[in-house]
Amino acid sequence: MTKTTHDADVAFIQALAEVLKANDLTELQVKRDYGEGDSLNVRVSRQTQAVTQVAVPAPAPVAAAPAPALSAPAEETAEDPAQLPGAVTSPMVGTVYLQPEPTAAAFVGIGDTVEEGQTLLIVEAMKTMNQIPAPRGGTVRRILVEDGAPVEYGAPLMIID
Amino acid sequence: MSTEIPLWDAAETRAFWPSAYDRIVLDQTDSTMAEAARRRDTLTGPTWILARNQIAAHGRRGRPWSMPPGNFAATLVMQPKGDPAQAALRSFTAAVALYQALAMLTGPKMLSLKWPNDVLLKGGKVAGILLESAGQGGGVDHLSIGIGVNLASAPDGSQVEDNAVPPISVVGAGGKASSPEDFLFWLASHFADLEQQFQQFGFDPIRHLWLKHAARLGEVITARLPSEQITGTFTTIDAEGHLILNTAKGERRIAAAEIYF
Repeated sequence: MTKTTHDADVAFIQALAEVLKANDLTELQVKRDYGEGDSLNVRVSRQTQAVTQVAVPAPAPVAAAPAPALSAPAEETAEDPAQLPGAVTSPMVGTVYLQPEPTAAAFVGIGDTVEEGQTLLIVEAMKTMNQIPAPRGGTVRRILVEDGAPVEYGAPLMIID
Repeated sequence: MSTEIPLWDAAETRAFWPSAYDRIVLDQTDSTMAEAARRRDTLTGPTWILARNQIAAHGRRGRPWSMPPGNFAATLVMQPKGDPAQAALRSFTAAVALYQALAMLTGPKMLSLKWPNDVLLKGGKVAGILLESAGQGGGVDHLSIGIGVNLASAPDGSQVEDNAVPPISVVGAGGKASSPEDFLFWLASHFADLEQQFQQFGFDPIRHLWLKHAARLGEVITARLPSEQITGTFTTIDAEGHLILNTAKGERRIAAAEIYF
């Protein structure tokens, strides 16, 4: 195999990796036949936590369906935090803010005791700052999102018990 | 202000006040958003709170909002039905209502909309809309829509962040002068009509009105998110209000971002 071909193959594989990432796929396999006995067989895959569901690029946005092409893939694990008792989930697609404003302290930290109704974080969509209150009193056990992270509808945000 | 003349006779403008809404007018407060937060549990229906002066106004994410005398500052407090995503669509309702109210002072040609709720006058920042909501169990307990408008004068542009839209005022752009009280009548009237359409027919009519006035539709724009920057052709907004950008890597739906032209 000449160097030119090699470079072209590398570029091709890089392009496939981009397609994989852009469309939120877990695996992509392509075979290219250059001639008899000369072919390139590429399988590109990446590690994700998805075991129960594979993200598929959906063509058009559908009302109430999980958004396919939004900025972050929904995290799903074998032990889905959204299903844990005490999980606080996002009521909307948007961006998470853990502080009331960038220079302020976080609303809550791990180990904090919170009262029912106390603001835990903000999810912003359409320039609407939606405060997410604690559904019950308890202790903040886990914070599952980073400040500024995009979240999907139903994404687990915190565990309070 | 000597150039200020009443646009309409007071009795006439009052006739346009939407009857389902209450109105509170204050000489001064810290901010109408803070005032709304303190009063919301005592209110019996949707209420507009207007302040002639705000001494501690703020914008999105704690950004300062400067309010020279004669400018408009009000917050509408309401308890919308539906989930938080539905409540957030009031961003567009408020923007279209504000566009319509401003068009009475400037005419429509100088005005345009930037996703999701910026109203631009000659391409400058004439107003700001900030929405805050909270709710339990997938519902919304309250929604506050804060609206500031540079009616009389624009604040000092030196405080504006790099690449942000420069401030401009209605009077500075050659528009008619209006008192904040008169402006509230028209804004509240337009909002009430649009809100009724929203409740009757859903987001679709608001979406179409918004798109009709959108700046840079079909052109390449940039959306800045906390984690990334996305540049693409602004094709539309979808049924949930997401900004749709057509990029080299495919279509992107955006729920929260700062937009740069």
